[in-house]
Amino acid sequence: MQRDLVIKWFFPHPAEKVWECLTTPELISQWLMKNDFKPIVGHKFQFHTRPIPKMGFDGIVYCEVLEIIPDKKLVYTWQGGPKPGVIRLDTVLTWTLTPGAEGTTLLLEHTGFKGLQNYLTSIFLERGWKKNVARRFTKILESR
Amino acid sequence: MKMRNVLDPFQAIADPSRRQILMMLAKDKQSINSLAGNFEMSRPAVSKHVRVLYEAGLIQIKDQGRERLCELHEDGFDEIKNWLIFFDQFWKGKLQNLEQLLNQRANKNEND
Repeated sequence: MQRDLVIKWFFPHPAEKVWECLTTPELISQWLMKNDFKPIVGHKFQFHTRPIPKMGFDGIVYCEVLEIIPDKKLVYTWQGGPKPGVIRLDTVLTWTLTPGAEGTTLLLEHTGFKGLQNYLTSIFLERGWKKNVARRFTKILESR
Repeated sequence: MKMRNVLDPFQAIADPSRRQILMMLAKDKQSINSLAGNFEMSRPAVSKHVRVLYEAGLIQIKDQGRERLCELHEDGFDEIKNWLIFFDQFWKGKLQNLEQLLNQRANKNEND
């Protein structure tokens, strides 16, 4: 019920190189967002990006490092909301690296949208609501 | 017809009984009494869950004669759907950036 968005990605590069990009603030800001990340469990940090008022998001992501296994696994919280002190989005990011002969498989799990997939999918399917949205939604869920 | 959206929908759907109520309402609109018939808990307890779903904007309540009919409110689910769709696109874009960055850095090392 907690696994909501899961994306798998392959990089033709060694796990240490991918890890470096996931855990070095200057590198993270090059591919993701400006940040003050530190690879220390319990470290609290933020990402800064453009606000999305339509979705009640002020552009600041509040994070705390939960778990670090060098070159293998990184877990941090991912929270956001319309203004400081108001959290609407309370989620967790888990990055898992699996080395292979040709490179590294990166598994990204964005979880904590609080168990909605199964029943929401069936609600959409049953009602035939907004066909397009239901299709896209189902696709996301199937990509898990 | 009444409709409000003051409660976080994520919180509203975190509870299994409330998810069950939503599933029932997905089949057809129902009165609070007929919903309560499906649960072991008391009618006031069911009524409380209905209230939470209503305040999260996930259902509508219409008075029909002496009955209060509950019905799903489609737009209420938009926030959740939007975030999932948003992040799916967001992460795919970011992972593409990461791939480019890794390629650049590998090329740079080769040329050093």
